[in-house]
Amino acid sequence: MSHSAIRRQRWTSAPCLVIALGLLIGTARAADQSSVDGVAIDPDAELVVAIPDDTNNMDPRIGMGSIRSSYIRQVYESLVDVDPQGRALPGLALSWKPAGDLAWEFTLRRGVTFHNGEPFNADTVLFNLDRMFRKNLDRWGIKDVAAGTSFEKVYPMVARWEKTGDYTVRIHTSEPVPNLWDAIGREPLVPREYAIKNGVEAVNERPVGTGPWKMVAWKRADSMRFERNESYWGQPPLFKRLRFQIIPEAGARLAALRAGQVGLVDAVPPLDAGVLSHDPALKVVSGPQKQSCRIYLNARPKDKFDSGGKDGLFADQRVRLALNLAVNKEGIVQKIFHGYALANASPVSTVSYGYAAQEPYAYDVKRARALLAEAGWKDSGGDGVLRKDGETLTLQLLFPAKHYGQGFDEMTPAVAEMLKAVGVQVQIKPVDFGTLLQTVTKGTLPYNGGFSSCRTSNNLDADDFLRDWTAITLINWAPYPPELAELYRTTRRELDAPKRLKLLAELQHRVRDWAPVVAIYQEVRVYATSARVLRFTPLTELNMDFRGVALRK
Amino acid sequence: MRGYLLRRLLHGVFVVWGVVTAVFFLVRLTGDPASFLVDQTATQEDIAHARHLLGLDRPLRVQYVDFLLAAPRGDFGMSIREKRPAMPLVLEHFWPATVELALAAAVLATVLAVPLGVIAATRKDRTADHASRLASLFLQSMPSFWLGLLLILLFAVELHGLLPAYGTGTWRHLVLPAVTLAAAPLAQNARLIRAGMLEVLQQDYVRTARAKGVSEGLVLYRHALRNTAIPFITVSGLSLGFMLSGTIIVETVFSWPGLGRLIVQAVPGRDFPVIQAGVFVFALIFVVLNVLVDLLYAVVDPRVRLS
Repeated sequence: MSHSAIRRQRWTSAPCLVIALGLLIGTARAADQSSVDGVAIDPDAELVVAIPDDTNNMDPRIGMGSIRSSYIRQVYESLVDVDPQGRALPGLALSWKPAGDLAWEFTLRRGVTFHNGEPFNADTVLFNLDRMFRKNLDRWGIKDVAAGTSFEKVYPMVARWEKTGDYTVRIHTSEPVPNLWDAIGREPLVPREYAIKNGVEAVNERPVGTGPWKMVAWKRADSMRFERNESYWGQPPLFKRLRFQIIPEAGARLAALRAGQVGLVDAVPPLDAGVLSHDPALKVVSGPQKQSCRIYLNARPKDKFDSGGKDGLFADQRVRLALNLAVNKEGIVQKIFHGYALANASPVSTVSYGYAAQEPYAYDVKRARALLAEAGWKDSGGDGVLRKDGETLTLQLLFPAKHYGQGFDEMTPAVAEMLKAVGVQVQIKPVDFGTLLQTVTKGTLPYNGGFSSCRTSNNLDADDFLRDWTAITLINWAPYPPELAELYRTTRRELDAPKRLKLLAELQHRVRDWAPVVAIYQEVRVYATSARVLRFTPLTELNMDFRGVALRK
Repeated sequence: MRGYLLRRLLHGVFVVWGVVTAVFFLVRLTGDPASFLVDQTATQEDIAHARHLLGLDRPLRVQYVDFLLAAPRGDFGMSIREKRPAMPLVLEHFWPATVELALAAAVLATVLAVPLGVIAATRKDRTADHASRLASLFLQSMPSFWLGLLLILLFAVELHGLLPAYGTGTWRHLVLPAVTLAAAPLAQNARLIRAGMLEVLQQDYVRTARAKGVSEGLVLYRHALRNTAIPFITVSGLSLGFMLSGTIIVETVFSWPGLGRLIVQAVPGRDFPVIQAGVFVFALIFVVLNVLVDLLYAVVDPRVRLS
């Protein structure tokens, strides 16, 4: 295995030095900076961000999904940072590299302290690894929280970890894990001494991180207030105070922006984005997210769900492919999302590392019907209903209404109508999200069932998406056949970056053809800001980043 | 009187027990909160582990007995969503946010309804009556989320921040949500008073009072209004109960951090402890308000004897 090739995958040291130098210069300049792009700025200002919901938790181990990431990542940082294009950057680690085939080594940033003055070093990382993999917790005398992600189950090949210096940590694995830098590196890190002394509850209630913002007040269901971390290792924020103000109603959020009571609005409905963009006092910015919304179809074998003795009705690849061809995705993107969405045929998000663009599923009703006929589903009665062996091609579609937003709620019925047009009898069942979770958890999805849902990721690497159809999980209703499972395992073993990228591209191509889901759209997140807000750029991640953002004087 | 009160309170205890018991079992029919604690790629083992941590893998009767033993102490368990004790969380949202909003709306709905109803009754079929009835119809029919957004657009956006669009803290923050919440009960109260007054004003004792030369103000406000008060008190008491428990939409539109919003978030998240604690508080409020309304009857109408 070539180490020079491996190095091409991680960020290279030269750009790192440039960035680090830039950040150092930035640190020196931050206090004095009085203008951005020639515009005078107010370093003592407060930015109020209207956000739809509160976070459930600030301890990253409890969970990082959905809106929580935006809160948590202001305070806590991870080893690997990310730029607006979704590329990895040095965060609390200056570099990372494989140490042989069965280990990864992280070199940590020096001189970083948590908000309470506790130094960040290799011991911090070891403690956090203990929490992530639920090992050695007795040693620290803590009873840990129920974790959102069970690292010990997702990465059972991680064997042990050690510090090889005060600022170097090595993680040993029982087999090569090419994406370990991402899996471990994107997890926010909490202070060791603080957690041991005050308990993990303090990590959640009174978070103390290394991030650019210190949390100063958390009024549940109302707001969270932050203050600039003046001793931030990078460039300290260009304004002094940040407030996340919870305003659940999109209309009320936008009214507050237009009234000048907030400076930035998160989660602008696509329908409003066009109207707002005509207002000279406002700016609309948007960027692709990893969230991919799909129709999941029951293609599980009968022994993998509460089947009543029947295999999933959509086990035939041709049927799933036909359903993909029957849906006018571009039409949905343009008419429902007003262009604020992407049609993506790859199972991997367009902004993930390892993404390979795939040939779109053409909107081709004729071909869809032909594929269904090839699979044995024929309109034998001349009534437009497709039948095979006395069975009707029916899809009982569970639809979690009022969970993913207005566009999603319009999309599902639109897709149902398109599927009906090729002869699939679709029965939509609106359910609340909890009921859907209950159904997929218990495995009680009907044999001819399916559901619309969205999938996102906290990681940068394509693996997080491609892993979906390996083990039976809540969202795996079309497990990989043996050849795809083997190809996936090969990608997991390959440490040579170019070779791995090729394998990932091949797997995406084959998954695209195998069509485990009906891929509908990938979300584009829309924000609106007042003209006073300068340089706000959406991330491809779930969180907002205010480093570099300034407020006009 | 004391016997009556004791009977009502005992009755109230049974009502509250019945409500929380029904809620205990009903919420468990709606789904499993463990699924919310794990990510989408969780396996059955992950979910089973989460269920174990929540104590949901114990037999239902054991969970219920534990619940019944702990609830009288105010221990409704830990919020699944917020990882904090549920009852303090509920009370934190109830007081002062929800109480403040509901009381402000109740005062508005009562204080404004009386003159509006009286004016409409005394000027029956004249412009003031038509205007009052039209306004009542308008306020009662308008969905509160829409009225709330209209008020925000008018007072926060068009009038350049005359009143804040969201939040809490000052009396200015209270105005728009209180007006929105008060709109429907105000209209209902005004119509009720108008109808009651119209009926009472036809009574012999009113005619007698007028014949004796009693001033019109005294006739209206001492003799007539007092006799329309009993249905008004009943409806106002229930309205206050609904306002305390039914502020969900208004709290959402105005980002008011009250109990209604907490419950709205708790239900889809299957946060059983919070739902149970919230419903317990609501049930208690209704019981107490009902007793208070009954006591007020005796104060307003000496013919009513509580025995």
